[in-house]
Amino acid sequence: MSIEIDSKDVDVRKIMSEIRERIAEKKRGLYTDEEIREIAERKLEAVLESRQFNPDFLKDFKTKSEVWNYTFQPDTIYRTSRGGMGGFLATIRGLLKPIQKLFWNPTPMIAALSRQSDLNQYTVQMLHNLTLELTRMNLEVQELRARLQQTDASLEELRKRERALEALAVLKDEPKP
Amino acid sequence: MTERLKLAFVVQRYGLEIAGGAEYHCRLIAELLSAHAEVEVFTTCALDYVEWKNHYPEGETVQNGVRVRRFPVARQRDVLRFAALSETIQTAGHSGQDEEAWMDAQGPYSPALQDHVLKAAREGLHDALIFFSYRYWTTCRTLKPSRTPSIMAPTAEDDGLYRLGLFRPLFEAATQFAFNSVEERHMLETSLGRALPGEVVGVGSALPSTVDGAAFRKRHGIAGPFLLYVGRIDLNKGCPDLFDHFLRYRKETGSDLALVLIGRAVLEVPSDASIKSLGFLEEGEKWDALAASMALAIPSRLESLSMVTLEAFYAERPVVANAHCAVLRGQCRRSGGGLYYSDHDEFREILSVLEGDATLRARMGRAGHAYFDKHYAWPVILEKYLRLIDAARQVKAA
Repeated sequence: MSIEIDSKDVDVRKIMSEIRERIAEKKRGLYTDEEIREIAERKLEAVLESRQFNPDFLKDFKTKSEVWNYTFQPDTIYRTSRGGMGGFLATIRGLLKPIQKLFWNPTPMIAALSRQSDLNQYTVQMLHNLTLELTRMNLEVQELRARLQQTDASLEELRKRERALEALAVLKDEPKP
Repeated sequence: MTERLKLAFVVQRYGLEIAGGAEYHCRLIAELLSAHAEVEVFTTCALDYVEWKNHYPEGETVQNGVRVRRFPVARQRDVLRFAALSETIQTAGHSGQDEEAWMDAQGPYSPALQDHVLKAAREGLHDALIFFSYRYWTTCRTLKPSRTPSIMAPTAEDDGLYRLGLFRPLFEAATQFAFNSVEERHMLETSLGRALPGEVVGVGSALPSTVDGAAFRKRHGIAGPFLLYVGRIDLNKGCPDLFDHFLRYRKETGSDLALVLIGRAVLEVPSDASIKSLGFLEEGEKWDALAASMALAIPSRLESLSMVTLEAFYAERPVVANAHCAVLRGQCRRSGGGLYYSDHDEFREILSVLEGDATLRARMGRAGHAYFDKHYAWPVILEKYLRLIDAARQVKAA
């Protein structure tokens, strides 16, 4: 398909290519001073936010274990919280266990809930570790970015010196009149 | 004295209340040609495009100098059945029967209209029959090879429907085609594997005699620069993406640009002070809004022409279009009147460039206007249609 371009005044393809170049430059890190300031502020905010992350996250979770986690034993479903009366009730339930098993088999459910209980603990542990790791990496990236900027500045300084020295060397080699 | 041409249009809906889409396009062309030919329109009594409920009375009426003959819709669209069949025809293993069933579910199903058009075509009562939108029952079941020359304005979008085997005989039957864009023509010709007779025509617009951007600002309490959106505020039109890009743009750049929306909202508009939804406005208001705006946003991925894009060109306002729509991308490139984004980064940079460069905006505005004058001014459109009718008649005469 050939597209006939009518406009002689505006080259849309060229403008679009310049726009894409600007985007690519920004992605490469060639920002204006104003943009650098803006980004630096944003990054700082991000780090501050991550620092607000509670390092006792896991400890808190563990101390309030009963709220989110449960221990599940084979006899958990027969227990009761009704004090003295509860003991009696548990005994009755124990006696009725063989009859109840005629209606349904609680073993697979007990096994599944026990596995789920373990999985909950692993998930909390993993979440905690991932958050810590992410925070650490975020700080590391900040640090590396700052070092990269310093290195770039030093390199530029060295290049300037090199060019100045080369100029001097040429002048020295030139035959004197 | 030469005899006046006798033309008939076939379209799924027709009425002064329909302010957009292929139906509005058809009405503008019918009214344009009515000054040069005896024009009548064969259509249904439907106004609603979801279920095709009968709204207009059956029979003849005259609207803006055009004789309109309406036929009842015999069966409303069963939306659930249509949705299910639309899923079916998108699967690879579907049958021809599935496609036929889909077309009957698509509607508007009007056997009375079908009988009338087929009879008129058979008897050669018109110099040409002009069909709008290939995808509807009214075109698919009435455009057959006959002694009467036929012109089809396919108004096809890049949604793949045109690839259905069901439409092959339809594209064979049309004597000439009035395409909306170079891209539409290319898309259909590639799919059919052959060149199609006809030309890229498009449509003009009902142009205003005067515009007053300042009055629009005053009426709606808008002070600063704004990006304008005109059309149905709908998921299919890409509006959620536009809202997202726009709000992020403001946040990332600190710009004061506002977004003004004109059109009926069928989804929730974000409640943000920078987005102003004005609802449906009169035609004159739209032109005033264009005059007051910085640029027009077209976030839709599927457009066969986008009349509002052409109107923005006429109003000398740059267009910020969705690059995923080949038609919009092509219109922007050819005219020089618009830029196109494929992601948020491009959206942000385009708006930054346009906001910061009034000279570029003015240059793009002038380029768009010149493009409109060259291709979409009414005398140009009229000439193209008369040429198409002549070519269709010559084919039949041969």
